[in-house]
Amino acid sequence: MSDDRSMLVEVATGLFGDLCTPEDVVAAEGSGWSARLWDALAESGFPYVSVPEEAGGSGGDVADACALLAVAGRFAAPVPLAEAGLLGGWALGAAGLELPEGPLSVAVGRPDDTVSLTGGPGSWSLSARVHRVPWGGRAERVVLLAPSGGSTYVVSAPTSSASVTPGRNLADEPRDTLTWDGGALPDDAVAEAPPGVHADALRLRGALARAALISGALARVSDLTVRYTGERHQFGRPVARFQAVQAHLVTIAEEAQLAQLAVQVAAGNARPDPSFADVASAKAVASEAATTAARHSHQAHGAIGMTKEYELGQLSRRLWSWRDEFGSERWWNRELGRRLAEAGADELWPRISTGLVTA
Amino acid sequence: MHFAVTSLTAAEEALRAEVREFLAAELPAGSRPALGFAGRHAPEFSRKLAARGWVGMAIPPEYGGHGRSAVDRFVVAEELLAAGAPIGAHFVADRQTGPTLLQFGTEEQRRRFLPGIAAGEIYFSLGMSEPDSGSDLASVRTRATRVEGGWRVTGTKVWTSEAHRNHWFAVLCRTSPPEEGSKHAGLSQLIVDLHADGVRVSPIPYLDGSHHFNEVALEDVFVPDEMVLGELGSGWQQVTSELAYERSGPDRWLSTFPLLREWLREGPGRDAGKHATDDEAVVLGRLASRYRAIRQMSLSVARALDAGEAPAVEAALVKEIGTRFEQEVVEALRAAVETELDAGSASLFEALLAEAVLTAPSYTLRGGTNEILRGVAAKGLGR
Ligand SMILES: Cc1cc2nc3c(=O)[nH]c(=O)nc-3n(C[C@H](O)[C@H](O)[C@H](O)COP(=O)(O)OP(=O)(O)OC[C@H]3O[C@@H](n4cnc5c(N)ncnc54)[C@H](O)[C@@H]3O)c2cc1C
Repeated sequence: MSDDRSMLVEVATGLFGDLCTPEDVVAAEGSGWSARLWDALAESGFPYVSVPEEAGGSGGDVADACALLAVAGRFAAPVPLAEAGLLGGWALGAAGLELPEGPLSVAVGRPDDTVSLTGGPGSWSLSARVHRVPWGGRAERVVLLAPSGGSTYVVSAPTSSASVTPGRNLADEPRDTLTWDGGALPDDAVAEAPPGVHADALRLRGALARAALISGALARVSDLTVRYTGERHQFGRPVARFQAVQAHLVTIAEEAQLAQLAVQVAAGNARPDPSFADVASAKAVASEAATTAARHSHQAHGAIGMTKEYELGQLSRRLWSWRDEFGSERWWNRELGRRLAEAGADELWPRISTGLVTA
Repeated sequence: MHFAVTSLTAAEEALRAEVREFLAAELPAGSRPALGFAGRHAPEFSRKLAARGWVGMAIPPEYGGHGRSAVDRFVVAEELLAAGAPIGAHFVADRQTGPTLLQFGTEEQRRRFLPGIAAGEIYFSLGMSEPDSGSDLASVRTRATRVEGGWRVTGTKVWTSEAHRNHWFAVLCRTSPPEEGSKHAGLSQLIVDLHADGVRVSPIPYLDGSHHFNEVALEDVFVPDEMVLGELGSGWQQVTSELAYERSGPDRWLSTFPLLREWLREGPGRDAGKHATDDEAVVLGRLASRYRAIRQMSLSVARALDAGEAPAVEAALVKEIGTRFEQEVVEALRAAVETELDAGSASLFEALLAEAVLTAPSYTLRGGTNEILRGVAAKGLGR
């Protein structure tokens, strides 16, 4: 890890450690949102890491943003950090639109979404219905990609003019439906999408961001399970002494490491954009790891893990949500498999034996 | 526990390209690949590989080797295994005996054996397991008694891979009784000539009918003093030394890769993937994404070794997940094709699948079982 990135991780770990304790996460469950945490993050410029400074961001690269997201995942942070920088901020910055002061989210481009942008400079208007927008109701702006007159536009849609139907994922993180009914948009909220800014690219970034969150949460799940089973005594000794329990610990550690390395490869190779093969591998591995590690760590914890207050549940409910968001393991494995089948048998090993590529 | 992400340098990638080119010339298209390091014993191939400098890479030039890094060895090994190259003759000497001799052997032993190992000409077996000693290796009963100029060794070793083809084996035995409270004391490693008087090698037929395993009976076999490997009484420390860290290489996760490639060739990869079903694509994508991630773990251990670290827990994790994955590949492909297995099938993939089903149980046993590995890893995690 570069020195700058280590520093970023260290500072972020301190900040989350102060403002995002397990008690804070429980306290935020009702709304799925911590204003105090968001304000502190914004103060430090964290939401816009990886967005160029010229575009109003904080600079840094995709790998920096993913390292930061791994920390956020480890603390189960109830804020739209992934949506702000790697997704929304990236699109706004690339299109030359201004970054909002308040929280920024993004419509993830689901098949049931409808987006219609009409008019032109001076007369833009937006009709849209977008689903499961992370923290959509809390955001100041939501980034949409809108086709109009043969081009695609990046829209920085103000949520003040949207109606919001709240929704949630399994961890009670907001996943809201937002509707705009043909209201006018100011000119500075619309710009033509530059090359490279399109729905597939957004999906890759979204999947990478979720994989990074998963990797951080898994590292914490691993530590937590080692600690708890070392402290919990039954039959006169720590349960971690039982080989059956040790097998759980080892599986969790393996899956956590697989996910972390896959994410670091995908993030490290994103210069500047992540590649399909890297992200497909990372999200598929991370989503499967989420499934496996959650199962083994709940088993190793016994009943305490089934309580809402205990930290494990904050993490496992996120893992069970994030594994499906921006594409499940099956979705990414299928897409990756299709491309590998197309490339043929002799291309298989060359594609597997590429990892992180030297800069 | 820490796995640092690492990339290959331009020089390491260039080495890969050279090995790939060599293999393309040596292994004709359509020929049957070996599955894993124990897949095929081919001295001629081992010598050719050695002539290119790809055997004895860990051995310094002064002993006829090449003094290459762990990552260079990793790159060569993964190319060989992915291609299904027949590396069975030299692999154990190269991976295990060479480095052990280098670290613990006497100067005389190094001069005697290392150049031959690096030339791909001297092959070693491992004489550890016995009928009553498997995972509990310290309980071995083979014993050596002091005589003029050396030792007389008596006992029985089992599961000795390739003893009928190799030249020597490193025998773990008792040279003095266990001490109070330490069954690990009094064990030594002796280098025994597999063709010496009193050594009887008999086949133990392997599950697939091949001759791989042997029983090696030692009856009053004379072993001269200069064949005591390392220090007398340090056998236990030597077999469990940090060299164990070296055992998480590509041979622990690539054994069944050629099977996947041949499935792709005959199945979903035909006609540029036009006929691939969703289920096939999912299987292919899943195996490929996990190969990539496991490879990254294994590579990270090699890089740590080069940095002088001792990644014991990491190596155990890689071997544990890697060998289980080798088995998963077999079952995932079996489930994908729905056929009745026949080792004589005209389809290369199906013939390999039959071979893989019959040998797969060994992956999570050989070199220390996964149960034992999980114990090692779990202790490290708690620290
Ligand atoms: C293909 C192959 C090649 C081999 N080649 C060689 C060779 O060349 N030279 C050589 O010396 N040996 C060789 N072996 C032997 C190998 O090292 C042993 O199989 C291995 O160490 C396990 O010993 P075992 O088979 O006696 O099983 P056992 O030790 O009897 O184990 C039986 C079962 O009990 C479990 N078990 C044992 N102890 C514990 C414990 N403390 N905690 C939890 N579970 C436990 C094991 O994991 C296993 O599941 C080879 C084995 C195979 C399969």
